[in-house]
Amino acid sequence: MLVLGPLGFLTPWLLAALAALPVIWLILRAMPPSPRLLRFPGTRLLLGLKDPQPVARHTPWWLLLIRVLAIAALILAFAGPIWKPAPDQAGQGPVLIVMDGGWAAAPDWPQRQARALRALDRAASGGQPAALLVADGTATGALPFQPAEELAARLRALQPAAWETRYPRNLDEVLSQLPPSLSVLWLSDGLDHPGRGELLSALQARAAVTVVPPQGPRVALEFVAGEQPALRLHMDSAGAAPAVLAVGLDPQGTPRQLARLEPGEAEAASQGVTSRLVPISLPSELRNRISRFEVEGQEVAGAVVLADDSLRRRKVALVGDDRASEGQRLLLPLHYLRRALAPRTDLIEGGIDDVLQASPDVIVLVDQLSLPFDEALQDWVDKGGLLIRFSGPRMAASERLADETLLPVRLRAGGRDIGGALSWGDPRGIAPFPAEGPFAGLAIPPDAMVRAQLLAEPSPDLAARTLAQLTDGTPLITRAPLGQGQIVLFHTTANAEWSNLAISGLFVRMLDRLVQTARASSEVPEVETDASTFWTPLQVLDGFGRSADPQDLVPIAAADFARGPAPGAPAGLYRAGERVLALNAGGPFARAVWPGAHMETVTAAPGIDLRGWLIALAALLFALDALGSAWLARGRQRAPGGRAAA
Amino acid sequence: MNRRAAELRADAEAALSALPALMLSAERLAAAATSGLHGKRRPGTGEDFWQYRPATAGDTARSIDWRRSARSDAQFVRDREAEVAQSVVLWVSGAAGMDFSGAPARPTKTDRANLLALALVLALLGGGERVALAGQSPRPGRAQADRIGMALLSRAALTVDEDMPPPESLRPGQRVILIDDFLGDPAPVLAYLERAAALGIEGALLQILDPDEESFPYSGAVLFRSGSGALRHDTRDAGGLRAAYLARLAERRESLSRAAMQAGWHFGTHDTAAPPAQALLWLWSVLEG
Repeated sequence: MLVLGPLGFLTPWLLAALAALPVIWLILRAMPPSPRLLRFPGTRLLLGLKDPQPVARHTPWWLLLIRVLAIAALILAFAGPIWKPAPDQAGQGPVLIVMDGGWAAAPDWPQRQARALRALDRAASGGQPAALLVADGTATGALPFQPAEELAARLRALQPAAWETRYPRNLDEVLSQLPPSLSVLWLSDGLDHPGRGELLSALQARAAVTVVPPQGPRVALEFVAGEQPALRLHMDSAGAAPAVLAVGLDPQGTPRQLARLEPGEAEAASQGVTSRLVPISLPSELRNRISRFEVEGQEVAGAVVLADDSLRRRKVALVGDDRASEGQRLLLPLHYLRRALAPRTDLIEGGIDDVLQASPDVIVLVDQLSLPFDEALQDWVDKGGLLIRFSGPRMAASERLADETLLPVRLRAGGRDIGGALSWGDPRGIAPFPAEGPFAGLAIPPDAMVRAQLLAEPSPDLAARTLAQLTDGTPLITRAPLGQGQIVLFHTTANAEWSNLAISGLFVRMLDRLVQTARASSEVPEVETDASTFWTPLQVLDGFGRSADPQDLVPIAAADFARGPAPGAPAGLYRAGERVLALNAGGPFARAVWPGAHMETVTAAPGIDLRGWLIALAALLFALDALGSAWLARGRQRAPGGRAAA
Repeated sequence: MNRRAAELRADAEAALSALPALMLSAERLAAAATSGLHGKRRPGTGEDFWQYRPATAGDTARSIDWRRSARSDAQFVRDREAEVAQSVVLWVSGAAGMDFSGAPARPTKTDRANLLALALVLALLGGGERVALAGQSPRPGRAQADRIGMALLSRAALTVDEDMPPPESLRPGQRVILIDDFLGDPAPVLAYLERAAALGIEGALLQILDPDEESFPYSGAVLFRSGSGALRHDTRDAGGLRAAYLARLAERRESLSRAAMQAGWHFGTHDTAAPPAQALLWLWSVLEG
């Protein structure tokens, strides 16, 4: 850096171009004025005449001055002028630059590069060697110390990685060739990463360490799987949490923001890092379209969550008696279920054996006895499947109802008929849903009546298992967990035979809520360290969270994949077989603490950068020049003799 | 072209007031083929009686005037005086370049040419001559001046740089006045003169130029376009071309003048800054012979 009084220049050699200004002045002076168009009948007499001496009319001096000033302003701007540059806080000897290269460094990456370049400039002007340790997990071997100028190009080409900052493990080898009187400049991303303390103490043992803390807050976004998929927003500042944008293809196929999710209240704060739950409360049509979530205003891979199978539509298998003649087709229970489920889910139909092979998220058994395929079905529910059963005449008539195991409650044989011609009572309505159940808040149509049902045997846990009941207190829908999965029983039919529930809108909404509680099957193979599975990248993120095509990435073995984003496995979408999983960079983090290190205060501004102002000035001058030239050309057209030309 | 016919005619009459009545020398009438007002004082085809002469061999019996012959023994033939009208054909160029004026105060070349042409027509008609625009048949009478004035003014502007009367419209016994800037291709003019000379037709070329065309007062970078825009010459230093242009103009005049002399024609120039009477007097003197 060249310092002239209060003015410093980052690239002073560019100032040499100022010497060219007189030449530019002469060239501009000799530039001919624009010709005027003239209609002249004697043109034939001029044909073939040669100009004896191209005499240019001189450009007015003020126009020349404007142009030369504009060019001078540009030259000065590109020389990187800084008003009152701050002196470098690091030492004067050889310098080692440690750059945190993970996603957390992305938000202020240009400032980091500029800071590191300043340090390199300082080392270069002192003729000192420098070394660059990029902590993105790719550094191996002893650090080579080079002339500082050679490092600048490498530094400019650096990009933050789409994984966490990783420090080298083999510190003794890496730090084996440190020169004496070394100063270390550590451009930290502000987060604690494994191995940071060791590296810090190893460096402090050899040199003075100056740490440059990051500017601005660090934000990470994490996907929380569960019954209701949600996002968790981690933030290391106390300010208001930014919104989360859900981005995906709209119905026209153009990517755009589909929804804007507001984070909830701060949950926990440890070391100043707060996390907030962001519920994804969206209609499933919209949710299925989302391809990524990103924190508003944050261009960081860690603030992006790519949507994968866990957010996708549920696969629902319908198993029931579909053998009906043409005329009865519209009365079948399966017809009502199809109509209710088809808009929001992928339906599979067939026998139990067939649908189990398709590994559905939900199996709906309509008026079937499960005994013949108990084992397979039970295995499936154990692993997290949701089994929804509907009652019906066949179940009511079965003598072996008491032996059924895949039921949430024990049922009394025979059922109950409350609205028929031979009964005393009237059809019963549906009681309001309990506030903590899955149906909380659904409006019950007053004309929804149940005429017949299967009755549960009284038992101590019957009340806990009841999700909905009739106005007389008998259970209508019951649920019981089994292994990782659950079983739900509707005590009435899925058609209008026993109840008109199936032809109300409530039926659709209830099924929708139930299906949402099913765990997506793709969460099951979470840590599959099967050696034969390889994940192929479909789409990867760079450190700034921008999507890119995976250029030529090697498929990643499942064992490595389970460890999260790493060198060679950047954050992105990966496919193995039919499963699509996202590797997301963001996660919980902790703030880094720097005992014994000198912290560079960011508040000491490194001087006012005049480049933008000078470029603006040059643009203004060029605009003036254009106006002046236009004015001159107009004046010329008005010159005498211009009648024919006008 | 936006002047009214009445204005043009009033101007033309003003220009005409300085002129004496037009009498063309009889000599010019000698070879005229069509009969007209002027007796040629020799036998020919006319209406007035000229003389009786004795019939000679070769006279047909039908041509003998039997009443005169009855009074004597010899046969007489009744001769009539030959009468030939002077017919003058005028032509004004309609080339695109004619519609040019170097300064707003000056008339365009077309305006000046129309004025001169009509003044001449009025003078000729006043002298009893037959006048027409090229390509039409000459007629006498004041009404012809109106027709010619209308024809001159209602002519559609051409979009080409050259305009010449068709050489086929040349008739023996006419006198032809061509008014043009003669800045186009000279070849058709020379061919026209050659054919006129071959037919024994005499006439005059009047070159009308704007002072800007005569002095070339331009300098700096100029993109020159011909009247129609078909020809172009771009220069960065128009001032430096002045000498060459003036030399070429002089050469053009010289060649036209020489060609006119060889054909028995006259060549005159006129610039639009000068009073029109000058040019009219010159034309007059040419027709006076």
